[in-house]
Amino acid sequence: MAISTNNSIELKEERIQLVSFKIGNEEHGIDVLKVREIIRMSNITRVPNTPLYIEGVINLRGKVIPIISLRMRFNLPDAENDSRTRIIVMDIDNELMGFVVDSVAEVIRIAISEIQPPPPIVVVGIDQECISGVINHADRLLVLLDLEKIFSAEERKSFNDMIQ
Amino acid sequence: MSMNCEDQELLEGFLTEATELLEKVGDDLLALEKTPSDMELLNRIFRSVHTVKGAASFLEFELLVKVTHKTEDVLNRLRKGEVAVNNRIMDVILEALDLVRLLVDDIRKDTIIERPVDGIIIRLESAFAEHDHDSAVAEVTEEMPSPPSPDGSGAPPTEVSRPVADVTKDNAPQETPAAVPQTAINLEVTDKSTIRIDVKRVDDLMNQVGELVLERNRMSHLNSDCLGQTNMDIFADEFAKLVKRISFITSELQMQVLKMRLVPVGNVFRKFPRIVRNMARDLDKQVELKIFGEDTELDRSVVDEIGDPLIHLVRNALDHALESADERLAAGKPRVGCVTLSATHEGNNIIISIKDDGRGMNPEKIAGKALEKGIATEEQLAVMSQKEIFDLIFLPGFSTKEKVSDLSGRGVGMDVVRTNVRKLNGIIEVKSEIGKGSEFILKLPLTLAIIQSLMVEIEDETYSIPLSAVIETLRVKEADFSSVGGREVLRLRKSALPLMRLQQRFGISQQENARDYLYVVVVGIAEKRLGLVVTRLLGQQEVAIKSLGNYLADVPGIAGSTILGDGKVALIVDPAKLIHGGDEEIFRQAS
Repeated sequence: MAISTNNSIELKEERIQLVSFKIGNEEHGIDVLKVREIIRMSNITRVPNTPLYIEGVINLRGKVIPIISLRMRFNLPDAENDSRTRIIVMDIDNELMGFVVDSVAEVIRIAISEIQPPPPIVVVGIDQECISGVINHADRLLVLLDLEKIFSAEERKSFNDMIQ
Repeated sequence: MSMNCEDQELLEGFLTEATELLEKVGDDLLALEKTPSDMELLNRIFRSVHTVKGAASFLEFELLVKVTHKTEDVLNRLRKGEVAVNNRIMDVILEALDLVRLLVDDIRKDTIIERPVDGIIIRLESAFAEHDHDSAVAEVTEEMPSPPSPDGSGAPPTEVSRPVADVTKDNAPQETPAAVPQTAINLEVTDKSTIRIDVKRVDDLMNQVGELVLERNRMSHLNSDCLGQTNMDIFADEFAKLVKRISFITSELQMQVLKMRLVPVGNVFRKFPRIVRNMARDLDKQVELKIFGEDTELDRSVVDEIGDPLIHLVRNALDHALESADERLAAGKPRVGCVTLSATHEGNNIIISIKDDGRGMNPEKIAGKALEKGIATEEQLAVMSQKEIFDLIFLPGFSTKEKVSDLSGRGVGMDVVRTNVRKLNGIIEVKSEIGKGSEFILKLPLTLAIIQSLMVEIEDETYSIPLSAVIETLRVKEADFSSVGGREVLRLRKSALPLMRLQQRFGISQQENARDYLYVVVVGIAEKRLGLVVTRLLGQQEVAIKSLGNYLADVPGIAGSTILGDGKVALIVDPAKLIHGGDEEIFRQAS
């Protein structure tokens, strides 16, 4: 979802759909096309010796996928899961992964032209890397995330360098 | 060249056919060397090369056509009887074959480059040039036998081949001998994207699936029947029977699908006659290679990985272990050294053995080297058994060869061999007797995807420990633990078993209850033992290994995951990693 600076008029009017979700007080949006499914919280099996933001793994219809807590990844204070907590399953780099979010709101349609570049410091804690823009939508500020960038290249090679 | 559907199909057909033909040609050429007057072989080889040339010409692969055409010429003259097959000609043809394989590979990878073919072309053309023009050499050539000696030695008498080889050197640009084995070896054993399966296996699978469908229908039937039922007993009874039948069918299906991935180990073994032939020539030794159990099957992923370690072991045998012909005669051994490559099944494992009748390993020499390289201290060496000393050769940086030859002696190989074998969940052992010979034994599991597992509980989390690594389980009181050098151990019969508390290792939060008893699962790889301390033993279960994905692939101590009957994910412990995970110290101190 990187914003190209060479948009033609047509592209600017092109609409994309975002899934909006909340983590803490912030509202975020991700490209709906990247979302495989959204499921309720289920039993997460802890995996030892992994970074804290990796909650563990779950069984997704026979496939074992890792679950990441966006709260922890963004260095936000811990919170209890409740009935609105969801796991957004996405295809990142050809791997299925689940991201725990506090609640999922809706799918909204926006025009690419509505996306503004991210201000230098948007929210404390979130990696600048994965913010691809902000949107003013119905008086709410929606931070657009590109979760493909959530892990830097070295992290992608081995999660466990963190522990060593 | 833009590809449409038909072209793509043609290309793929060509690649499959060419690869097969060339493999067969390779085998046939080596056989031809042993029986040079076998006309049928020669004709077959000629026809195969001719076919490849034709297809290449049709698809306009010029380089390929060039080389195959010249090769065909040489073969044609051979089969017309104009010249007898001899080693030099064989060399050139084999080299040409390697080049052809390389070109086909280029086409497959879609990286067609201008390979230097002229060298080979010239040598193919001049293969007979000496014969035609130089009668003196021709006499030597014709006299030079490659007749099968009674025990089928593939190497020529070395004295005669020397002068002929020298003549060749004068006339044509010579590539180094080492280059030849390289190209042959880099080609893959199996085509990674397709497999050949016996039709019978597919039919069996279909039958089994048919059975499964029947059971599924019975299951639906049972479900609708019992919707109105109040009598649970009948339902329970029928259900139990259903479960039994479905379990059986599922197991059968499992075995059958696994069988489809099996490939005969001969696919790997077939590379070796060529390798041994070339190496024996280079090292000036006489070697006979015996192969047994080529039909033994293993999973294709194992086959792909096992090639390199085996090549290294065979090279070692030829380079280090086997003596020269003179040395052997002096020692009262037959002139020709023997290397035996064999494969058999043993339970759920495949055992591959590489045996030689060479000089055997000298424990003192090995200990000396270990001392010299700082790998072990005098005290450590003093208490080692002969087996443990032999195991030292698998440590990185170890090599007893004085000169680093092109082929081995860099001290990298054995270490890599063992790592590769471990990656396949296998073990490697060495047996040796000075003066008599050595044997390297590789033990690999047949199936990588499904294992027998011991389910355990660590506090409130469920884990799986592969049963293949479990030696025994014990119920102990915490008071029985002692401490040696800061590490916990358990007195087990006469020795001290190092312990690892998995609750600590995996950072699992400890529950409050004090426990009377703990369980220790003793796991072992080769000679090393480790006692894993767990809270409870749950039982034995067959589990399907599920990968944790690329991101979590390297979690220390965890081999993978599995899904339990209740849908939860349980992690599978990696005993090898826990035993070898840099905790070598535990073993030194505990013994």
